[in-house]
Amino acid sequence: MSPVDGADVPLHTLALGDRIGDGGQGEVFDVTGPGRLLYKSYREPHKVDGRELAALVALRQGLAPADRDRLDRETAWPLCRVVDGGRVTGFLMHRAPDSMTWRTSRGDTRLNELSYLLRAPKAAWQAVAQPTPAERQALVVAAVELFEWLHALGLVVGDVSQANVLWTVRPGPAVHLLDCDGVRLVGRPPVLEQADTPDWHDPLAVPGTVTVDSDRYKVALLVGRVLSQDAYSAPGRRLEPLPGVLDDRREHAVRALWDQAAEPRGERPHLGQWRIALAGRETIRLAAAEPAVRPPVDRTKFDGPRRRGRISLRD
Amino acid sequence: MQILPFYLLCDESGSMIGESIDAINRALPDLHHEISTNPTVADKTRFCLIGFSDTATVLQPLVDLSDIDEVPALAAGGLTSYGDAFRTLLRCVEADVAALKAEGHEVYRPVVFFLSDGIPTDEDWEQAYKELTESRFCPKIIAFGIGEAQESTIAHVANFRAFMQQDSAVSPAQALREFASSLTRSIVRSAGSIAADGGDGFTLAVDDTVPGFSTVSLDKL
Repeated sequence: MSPVDGADVPLHTLALGDRIGDGGQGEVFDVTGPGRLLYKSYREPHKVDGRELAALVALRQGLAPADRDRLDRETAWPLCRVVDGGRVTGFLMHRAPDSMTWRTSRGDTRLNELSYLLRAPKAAWQAVAQPTPAERQALVVAAVELFEWLHALGLVVGDVSQANVLWTVRPGPAVHLLDCDGVRLVGRPPVLEQADTPDWHDPLAVPGTVTVDSDRYKVALLVGRVLSQDAYSAPGRRLEPLPGVLDDRREHAVRALWDQAAEPRGERPHLGQWRIALAGRETIRLAAAEPAVRPPVDRTKFDGPRRRGRISLRD
Repeated sequence: MQILPFYLLCDESGSMIGESIDAINRALPDLHHEISTNPTVADKTRFCLIGFSDTATVLQPLVDLSDIDEVPALAAGGLTSYGDAFRTLLRCVEADVAALKAEGHEVYRPVVFFLSDGIPTDEDWEQAYKELTESRFCPKIIAFGIGEAQESTIAHVANFRAFMQQDSAVSPAQALREFASSLTRSIVRSAGSIAADGGDGFTLAVDDTVPGFSTVSLDKL
């Protein structure tokens, strides 16, 4: 089976069910059959870089089983490409876990998007179970750890937004990344033209480009916005975490990183720093980080400008 | 915050009685459901419902759809005064833009979905229309005609896009369901391109074609 071994699947062999999603770059269909699979069909297949999509599929195939399980649990990663003739038309992925969805008052199912963590609850989406302050902090940790791991795998996530990170607190806090065909290997081109979400762009990045550094900025947005339940806060403004989400030590550490995230590219906190700050560990200032005191130098022992007199050769 | 206000300016004259008015009234909860469960869209858009017949009535003043759980229904009766509709709309737009700005928001040019099933029964409507389109906050108007509406009138009212029901293909009620879906899609997709701080502006997303309607070319007129 191709979702298992990563080999291309011909489009005509898929039994497509209902269309369940409609995004800017494509549509998502249910795939009838085992495995709770979905098919993302690209709207403009001629713009797709099939080699890069194959590279993402191959990356998953190359992981050790435990890592592949984690990737499948925490992301909707491309399992295999779908092809029609010689053209790549889309890919197969796992459906998001049921725990990452909620049911509206009319009975239809919606994804538990990050957006429901970013503002005070409204009656229209009261069925979304809101996290306790401790669960909110745990969700931020889960997201930071996921992005840190993806960076460690040599990936750039690219588009981080309120719509492509799902979350749940049942049975425990967990997150799930969508739109993983937007992820790329560091230094490689994207599968499709880079998508960017309004309110989630890195102001210092060249438009249309993403890097590990822009990921760091966007994860800072995610951390600050979830902790403060504010969809539009950004580094440079004061962070106001919800009461009870962070203790004093964590709040102090998180604020420092939040401020640092407003600094130029290259200076932004990496994801390990966020993880440590959120864990509430004290940091130890290392003596070796201070420049060593240099011994005094006796300058008279070195050559240098000197005063020469003149010697008269006459009597 | 950048706000995009949407106005539904809906004919509720006597000829809309029965299936047509029921179709719109049944579609409003769908529109509310779609927008109110999507907080990113609800944050950046506002919605106002104005019904018009002999006079125009603001049934739902401009609101964040996630803040309401009921809306006054449209009720058919009377004639079709376009003039009062446009005068009421202009008053609302001017007051609403000022109120949003006073709350610290920035406001994009309002968008109006205009729907009528007949010809205007008042004579001075073109003057009222002129005042609306020459006003400072002249909205973008997408006009839909069903039933007895005249294509030339609908094309006159629209300044962005115009659609006429395909008589033989669909019933007015079916066309109105499509009209409401198109309005909902427009709100959701337009909001998707709006940044809270304004950013690079936004794209007003309005369907090029709507099932059950033919697109009226505005360039011809």
